[in-house]
Amino acid sequence: MLTITDLSVNYGAVQALSNVSITVPTGEVTAVIGANGAGKSTLMRTLSGLVKPGSGGATVGGVTITGRKPEDIVRLGVSLVPEGRSTIPELTVEENLRLGGLWRDKAARNATQGQVFDLFPVLAERRGMRADTLSGGERQQLAIGRALMSDPRVLLLDEPSLGLAPLIVTQILELVSRLATESNLAVLLVEQNAVTALRVATTGVVLNLGKVVMVGSGSEIASDEQLRHAYLGY
Amino acid sequence: MTTFLDYLLGGLGSGAIIALMALSLVLIWRSTRVVNFAQVGQAMFTTFIALSIQTWTGSWFIALVGALAAGAILGVFIQYLVLRPVKRNDTSGAIIATFGVLIALQAAAGMIWPGGSQAFPQPFNNAGIEFAGRVWPISVYDFVVIGVTALLVLGLTLLFTRTSLGLSMRAAAFNPEVAKLSGVRVSRVLTFGWALAGSVGAVAGVLVAPVSTISPNSFDILLVYAFTVAVIGGLDSLIGAISIGVFTGLVISLVSGYSDSGNAPIVALLLLALNLILKPEGIFSHHKARSV
Repeated sequence: MLTITDLSVNYGAVQALSNVSITVPTGEVTAVIGANGAGKSTLMRTLSGLVKPGSGGATVGGVTITGRKPEDIVRLGVSLVPEGRSTIPELTVEENLRLGGLWRDKAARNATQGQVFDLFPVLAERRGMRADTLSGGERQQLAIGRALMSDPRVLLLDEPSLGLAPLIVTQILELVSRLATESNLAVLLVEQNAVTALRVATTGVVLNLGKVVMVGSGSEIASDEQLRHAYLGY
Repeated sequence: MTTFLDYLLGGLGSGAIIALMALSLVLIWRSTRVVNFAQVGQAMFTTFIALSIQTWTGSWFIALVGALAAGAILGVFIQYLVLRPVKRNDTSGAIIATFGVLIALQAAAGMIWPGGSQAFPQPFNNAGIEFAGRVWPISVYDFVVIGVTALLVLGLTLLFTRTSLGLSMRAAAFNPEVAKLSGVRVSRVLTFGWALAGSVGAVAGVLVAPVSTISPNSFDILLVYAFTVAVIGGLDSLIGAISIGVFTGLVISLVSGYSDSGNAPIVALLLLALNLILKPEGIFSHHKARSV
């Protein structure tokens, strides 16, 4: 379980997140939705150590993760699939995957790689090819696969739908939600595409201008017309 | 035709040395986007150390190993003391800092090892080999140079393609953020890169010293050639540094043979200019374009 408590982040004078508290339970997908500039990516970058928090923090299984280096946070079981191109195009599919678990011992790494290949058979087929030869959907699978190679307890997904066809987005998100249940993973999903995100999420969190404005079940948020108009723009 | 082939053969040894020096520039550039102009200064400094070791022990091999180690230590030293304090993302500041290091190393060498140019003992026979009734323009020492270069290139290739450290280095060079998120300790990997480049440059220095002399400025011309080669090769390509390095050695040998050795640096700069006009991103670069 990932617990975020009163997390605030400042970029100079701009407050990107203020007193954000979110609980991400194990075995479920929690979706953070909100418009551009709501602070979604800042939340993900802070949780993975790329951005330093101003005050407050986050814990995983009682251990504080915020304020540490990204290299250490991934070792504590928190893995981020960053927004956009998060595979390394110059490396092969298998090298991208190996990279995700390089710090682990070889046997454990190979076991996880087998699981990732079971989950994404196309990656096994293309293992020797450079990542830039993959399609957009395949590359997103590779990015998730790389993040899974560290055998995380918490998976952070930043805008996985970006630039992908709707059908592929649905496939990937359904797979992620199955993964959460079957592998006891706490998944925090950040999405601009609220409809898709709320379909797979148990809990939805609406973020606006760095503040949590509503927490509810996925269907609750999806059916709240006023909220949708005000914060999600549809 | 025989003369032409002779000139080509005669350029192989110096081509290998240029390739090694270019390789050390490429190793730093790939991971930090900094052209390390201090590289020849580091090589000069470690070659003086190698000369001292050779004088004490009488063994060229120990001197070579000593230079390898000294090169690694000096590389790490420079990264910690000079490059790290320079603000991150300030690439031009870092490049200017490497010039400062070059000047400091040359001044320090002049004080530690005074007396101008010194001869580096010949470890192997450097006279042309006699074979099949004629003297060839290639010596036993040339073969040693080519052999050491080949071994080093083979070792680096295995390091980059077969080991976890090599994969970390490539990932940190291509995308440091994803590397960090994957758990790679990027700053340690960068430090290792400086050590590695320092060692490769040090070997180039020890290999070239016996066929020239050693003084605080004696490797300056090597910087011109190595920089030219690295840029033409694409700055981030190891294969580019090696192949263009050997090619440049051959061109220099041909130019020196048919005209005058004083023309060689001019031809190298012409090659560089031609490359920047026709293919500014370099021949082997991973990147599509680079502004110049």
